[in-house]
Amino acid sequence: MSDEEIGGGRRLVGGVDPALTRRLPIVAAVMMLPFAIFFLRLFQLQVIEGEDLGNRARRNSVRKVRLEAARGDILDRHRRELATTRPAFGVQVMPAELRRRELTLTALGSLLDEDANALLERVGTPKGRQRFVPVRLARDLPYDAHTRVESHLYALPGVLTDVSPRRFYVGGEMAAHLLGYTGEIQREQLEKRSFADYRSGEVIGQSGVERRFESTLRGRAGGRNVVVDVAGRVDEVLDEVLPAPGGAVVLTIDRDLQHAAEAAFRPEVIGGPAKRGAVVALDPRNGEVLVLASRPAYDPNAFAGGIDADTWKQLTEDAALPLQNRALAGQYPPGSVYKAFVAAAALEEKIVDPKERVYCPGSFKLGRRTYRCWKRGGHGAVNLHEALVGSCDVYFYQLGLKLGIDRMAFFGKGFNLGRRSGVDVGGEAAGLVPTRAWKERRFGEVWLKGETVSASIGQGFNLTTPIQLAVGYAAIANGGKLFEPRILLGTLDADGKLSRGPGPRRLGTVPVAAEHLATVTRALEGVVHEIGGTGARARIPGVRVAGKTGTAQVVQIKHTEGMEDDEIPLEHRDHGWFAAFAPVEAPEIVVVALAEHGGHGGSAAGPIVNAVLTRYFEVKAGKAAPEEPVPAAEGARVVRN
Amino acid sequence: MFGIDRRLFQNFDWMLLLLVASIVAVGLVNLASATHVEDELNEEMRRQLFSLSLGGVALLAALLIDYRHFERFALPAYAVCLILLATTLLFAPVTRGSQSWLFGGRLQPSELAKLGLILALARYFHRNPLGEIQRLRDLGRPGLIALLPVGLIVAQRDMGVALLTLLIGSTYLAFTRISWRSWIGVAVVGVAALITLWMFVLAPYQQRRILDVVDPGRDPLSSGYQAIQSRIAIGSGGLMGTGYRAGTQTQLRFLPTQHTDFAFSVLAEEWGFVGSCGVLTLYLILILWGLRISRNSKDSFGALLAVGLVSTILWPVILNIGMVLGLAPVIGVPLPLFSYGGSALVTSLFGLGLLMNLSMRRYTF
Repeated sequence: MSDEEIGGGRRLVGGVDPALTRRLPIVAAVMMLPFAIFFLRLFQLQVIEGEDLGNRARRNSVRKVRLEAARGDILDRHRRELATTRPAFGVQVMPAELRRRELTLTALGSLLDEDANALLERVGTPKGRQRFVPVRLARDLPYDAHTRVESHLYALPGVLTDVSPRRFYVGGEMAAHLLGYTGEIQREQLEKRSFADYRSGEVIGQSGVERRFESTLRGRAGGRNVVVDVAGRVDEVLDEVLPAPGGAVVLTIDRDLQHAAEAAFRPEVIGGPAKRGAVVALDPRNGEVLVLASRPAYDPNAFAGGIDADTWKQLTEDAALPLQNRALAGQYPPGSVYKAFVAAAALEEKIVDPKERVYCPGSFKLGRRTYRCWKRGGHGAVNLHEALVGSCDVYFYQLGLKLGIDRMAFFGKGFNLGRRSGVDVGGEAAGLVPTRAWKERRFGEVWLKGETVSASIGQGFNLTTPIQLAVGYAAIANGGKLFEPRILLGTLDADGKLSRGPGPRRLGTVPVAAEHLATVTRALEGVVHEIGGTGARARIPGVRVAGKTGTAQVVQIKHTEGMEDDEIPLEHRDHGWFAAFAPVEAPEIVVVALAEHGGHGGSAAGPIVNAVLTRYFEVKAGKAAPEEPVPAAEGARVVRN
Repeated sequence: MFGIDRRLFQNFDWMLLLLVASIVAVGLVNLASATHVEDELNEEMRRQLFSLSLGGVALLAALLIDYRHFERFALPAYAVCLILLATTLLFAPVTRGSQSWLFGGRLQPSELAKLGLILALARYFHRNPLGEIQRLRDLGRPGLIALLPVGLIVAQRDMGVALLTLLIGSTYLAFTRISWRSWIGVAVVGVAALITLWMFVLAPYQQRRILDVVDPGRDPLSSGYQAIQSRIAIGSGGLMGTGYRAGTQTQLRFLPTQHTDFAFSVLAEEWGFVGSCGVLTLYLILILWGLRISRNSKDSFGALLAVGLVSTILWPVILNIGMVLGLAPVIGVPLPLFSYGGSALVTSLFGLGLLMNLSMRRYTF
């Protein structure tokens, strides 16, 4: 290959651009300029100021201290604290600065009530660079222990104390699932772009409100450069950037009602051993969530400083699933609570004459199978109103068959069942409203008539979550408006001024005329207030309450036939439901309670609803001051890493 | 084309090799001190020595092929660099706020991109002589060649390397015939547009966001802290230095990133004014020597390539030393050939290999 071929371009051998050659000396001169400046600067720093700076280096040095920002508070709708931040006192040891190691650590041990040998072991004898990495001995000391260490610091070179903000959930277990918890950022999270400005070890919201509103709650860490002397004491603060605390999040939750709902989960209130379940209360006028409770719960304070492996294991392996938020993610057959929607559908489709009576002998035959009514002796001849009041299964079996499964499903979905409600905290399950097509797809089988019978009383394949039922009942209460449930009322700025979150959001309107909803509501009022109604437990003096009970079977009746209630194993007991709203003339609150394996809806879930409604109307009438329930906080203690 | 001509050996640029070897050697001694751990060869030293042997191989490889063939490889090489950059952007994990490493942190495509860019620009200006560029609009296409990789590096949020790549590309502007008046016009319009945008268009939170991007030190105090510590370290070196491994600032690890971005402060503390001026002088001679190679080149592609290669050393030296001496903002640009870092060392040695290639083939036609 010859040279001519190599170049290939227009200009070949020998032709150097004259512009290039001519400019090179000038460019070289310009390039030397910064070097001249560097030489001068080095002369200034090293020769002129050298001695001064050298002294500063010998006098020990500047250290960087990070100042953690306090997380924003989480407040209820009346600005009462749900989660706040408290100071946590910690102690660290800088191995390189320790002198008379054993003596110092023995002294420290006696100040902290800790075994000196254990401390010695934890500090170890790090080498090289590790000697400059502080070892944390305590994260969250009681105030007096911290003061003791602080006042002896002059005699303990190498021992450092610090104060850092720490999350504190005021009510312990209260609203635990809703609030969520915080924890150190995970490795996988750090690698994602959206967490690019987090550093490892930083605390971040890991579930619930803490996670959903992380960007508001998180503050901005500050720091300071300080000159420290030989003993590690601060001589002089050079620069300081104060941490900016996070913004407060105001929830629509009413702490008072939340407390009442959770306190109701006690054997003496619900008359049985069931401690599991959920409560949702909404304002039917705008979808604001007043109560969102799930039981059993856990204390998120245990997570605030890093949870220990045992506690975590216990929580994740507990058969009662304490970490699950049953109010949003628990899926249960709705049972008879579903009948209100079936009744509304039948009225809208004009397949029922509300006055016409159907005879209930206590059971219903379809082909060779017999479907029982919950009332063994039967309800006798009942019309629509009486059937809802007494929760007559036989009446609804026949109504369901007339409607057919697909029409029933259309209306079920019309009340937003079988679909996530879109509540802004997230973590919802979808539930299920079965149709012919669904069964075909899922099992490849045709729909059976008997399954329609089960579906008409909310059994069979039907699955709903407590929040879905609350949205559906809110629509019955407010004349047909479906609202997306909301948790966020707004955020507070530094001056305590509320900037409101997005207002109520309509999901649509239910496909049932208001007059039919009014008919259903009259029957639901009868459930609570008429003789023979199944919901008498929700009665409260002076307020018209409408509601519906539900008892969802978990296993087929034959398994529990003839057994006394307390002989049935817990896992086979029915789920008790109660959905209610009040006051009937202008509903302000919808409450849905679920007592998982609690037995009958009226007796298991009714008292929970009663407790919430009672509290709501007492406070409203000014008969009870909104209390400040601050359950005992978990005691501060020395935390091991 | 691989024929080894005896003349090549005779013309080999021993001076350039000596300069490079001296800087690398001082860098290694300095790294040994900066990362010193009692009684063992530390991890950083081991990795740096491994990278050095790789770099030696890269340097030899760069010598083998007559540089005039590079013109044909210029565009493919440039394209490969762009593809690697895009791949990084799509697949690489975010580490320390930026996203610039491939293959589990073993390859930093933005380092390679600098070489790809000067190859492509040298080829372009070889075909479109710089002396004929008199109007601003003639800069459209070379501008695009430079801005493509720069844009991709900006998207990785690696602002230091993006700035460096832009500066390297714009070195060629010094040779155009565009009049001073045009440049003043460009500057006035540009500054006015930026000010208008800043004051009237951007909301305060957007301004803050831009400032956050420009200053990747997310910890608000980290840059100030580094600057203070660096100043103390350099100053305490005095005229003669504290001596090898005797710098208190260094040995007590008060300096963050002392083996990478702030390696020069370690040198200045331990070897004093004499030592730091010595190393700076080595860099200065290296740069002037590179320009001499460009001047002695017999074809314009070679001359252009030499200028580009010199600029890949010049700019990081200016930015790094400026930062270490507290004259420029703290942006993470390592000192070439000197700081700890494998990808950078290997690409620098490869680039200098190309420069030796240019130098030893100056008489071959």
